[in-house]
Amino acid sequence: MMARRNVLAGMVLLAIGLGYGVLTAGLPDRSLPGTPGPAFLPWLITAGWLALSTALLVRGLLGGGKNSTDVIEHRIPAQGWPALVGFAAYLLLLPTLGFIVASILFFASLTWLYGERNKLRIVLPAIIIPIVLFYLFTAGFQVLLPRGPWW
Amino acid sequence: MVVTGDVLQGFLQAIQPSSLLATAVGCLLGIVVGMIPGMTISSGIIILLPLTFVLDPNVSIALLLGLYVGGMLGGSFSAILLNIPGTPSAAATALDGHPLVARGETGRALGVAMLASFAGGLFSFLCLFLISPSLADLALGFRAPDLFSLMFLGLTMICSFAAQSWIKGLLSAVIGLAIVSIGQDPVMGTARFTFGDTNLLSGIHFLTALIGLFAIPQLIGNLGKKTIDGVVRTPSIPFKSLLPTLPDLRRMRLPVTIGSIAGSFLGMLPGAGGPIAAFISYDYARKTAQNSNEFGKGAIEGIAAPESANNAVTGGALIPMMTLGIPGDPVTAVLIGALLIHGLAPGPLLFIEHGDFAYGIIFSFFWANIFNLVIALAGLRLLIKLAAAPRTILMPAIAILCVVGSYALRNSFFDVYVMFCFGLLGLVMKWLDMPVVPLLLALVLGQQLEENLRIALTGSQGDISVFFTSPFSALFLSLSVVSVIWSIQSTRGMQNKEAGT
Repeated sequence: MMARRNVLAGMVLLAIGLGYGVLTAGLPDRSLPGTPGPAFLPWLITAGWLALSTALLVRGLLGGGKNSTDVIEHRIPAQGWPALVGFAAYLLLLPTLGFIVASILFFASLTWLYGERNKLRIVLPAIIIPIVLFYLFTAGFQVLLPRGPWW
Repeated sequence: MVVTGDVLQGFLQAIQPSSLLATAVGCLLGIVVGMIPGMTISSGIIILLPLTFVLDPNVSIALLLGLYVGGMLGGSFSAILLNIPGTPSAAATALDGHPLVARGETGRALGVAMLASFAGGLFSFLCLFLISPSLADLALGFRAPDLFSLMFLGLTMICSFAAQSWIKGLLSAVIGLAIVSIGQDPVMGTARFTFGDTNLLSGIHFLTALIGLFAIPQLIGNLGKKTIDGVVRTPSIPFKSLLPTLPDLRRMRLPVTIGSIAGSFLGMLPGAGGPIAAFISYDYARKTAQNSNEFGKGAIEGIAAPESANNAVTGGALIPMMTLGIPGDPVTAVLIGALLIHGLAPGPLLFIEHGDFAYGIIFSFFWANIFNLVIALAGLRLLIKLAAAPRTILMPAIAILCVVGSYALRNSFFDVYVMFCFGLLGLVMKWLDMPVVPLLLALVLGQQLEENLRIALTGSQGDISVFFTSPFSALFLSLSVVSVIWSIQSTRGMQNKEAGT
């Protein structure tokens, strides 16, 4: 299982490394002769990245990590996917709905995903905590958290 | 005279009411964070960090140091009470701590852990106080090639220790360096990999990356865990039972000495950290104990040795952080970030330019150990209740704090989106069993690494022999090679063992 992941990761990282190398080649050369310019470290990174991702790919192809026992532990749990989608939706809605409304919705949905089924225990903290955090940060720490059309 | 003045100023800074209060609050939060299985000290500090922007640097660092020290003890509490180590360093404590709880000697187990942690912490404070100024003096003589090689050593050592696979450890560091290369280059200010986006000109802020990398995988991972609550179901613990008896104190002497020395020393090595120190001390204590057959069944020595070691690691890890600017573990890497946010660069110059502040950190560490013991002894029942707060409330609150923390950096949604992307990266890395610590270290050290590399090469007009002719640089590079070879060997050893089983 881990060997297959290593092969997949090796291939993806190799492709990203090549892309990074192409971008590095396009960097302007603005240094004095004989001294390293802005592309110097990126070239070293490219070389290291390509060598290491090739090593990971080869290791995966040769079956390295086949016996790893910790694969299940690192799998994203079933509730993790809706949580991630919810998180992304929360971030996208945050500028439009404002901090309090978006956070109340996100908090409640996450509480539900964590296994809480009592409506009161979902609703109360979901309302109280975002409001407390909003006033703590805006009044206490002068952070300009986004305000929505309603709140 | 200057040093004496700085020591006094530092002491006065650390005993200011605001600093003392911050240290105490940090200890309280740290113990609670450490007691919650699934929360790490690094995450606790990262989540708290945005709240410290408005505080004075000395108050802010006192708070974070308190959290660091408290977290170590809190991790041991959950290891002893629940047999679930709150922090990796506390895993060795569970071996003998939990059997004592099973025998109905909860107070005795917790009392020994508290006292051993206190002793380990104080010993490492003395090391920090006595060694740091001399090491900083020595490091003042380092030139650009030495500094580059030192940072390179820090990176390779972290890769060696943090990863089960050296390839993945190094890849993680390389990914971190690639992320650091985004934005203006540190020497000439040329825009690199910005794609014309002005948000990227100042680079990726390491704090947004840290929040995403540490907190989001933890939030998602905890969704699948069912046995995280339950601390509250422990029996009541009378105060008197927490105080070790005279025979117990006698039995603790040798293991505490072993743990304190091993912890302080191993803490100084980048990447070695608490778990290694705790297990080595446990092993030595078992070998030197007359009752070695009691180990694993509730031996006092089996709690005292790892506990003193993992708290001694905290002071040890602060030594390279403060004197060389090299973090000893992930928490000190985050502390470097905290100092940078306040415009203070850790390293030898910290003792010259901000000597009072440097000694302030050292004395705050001393107070953190005192408060840790007092708070743990006096408020154990309250702490257990606080740590038992349902994760259905705690985790969503942390998720929102992550968003607020990233946004608060520059009042920008861009940072929030970057934080989320790093969260996804953290999940992918976890899936691949790739350690995030080398990436974190690369984010913290990357810019200085590039700066020193380029300054050294510019000074030598492109001649790379400059890295081998300087004795310090040659030493650091040799040690880097040794650490990588050692890592390759240990990976091979592990693979052979796996194949054997």
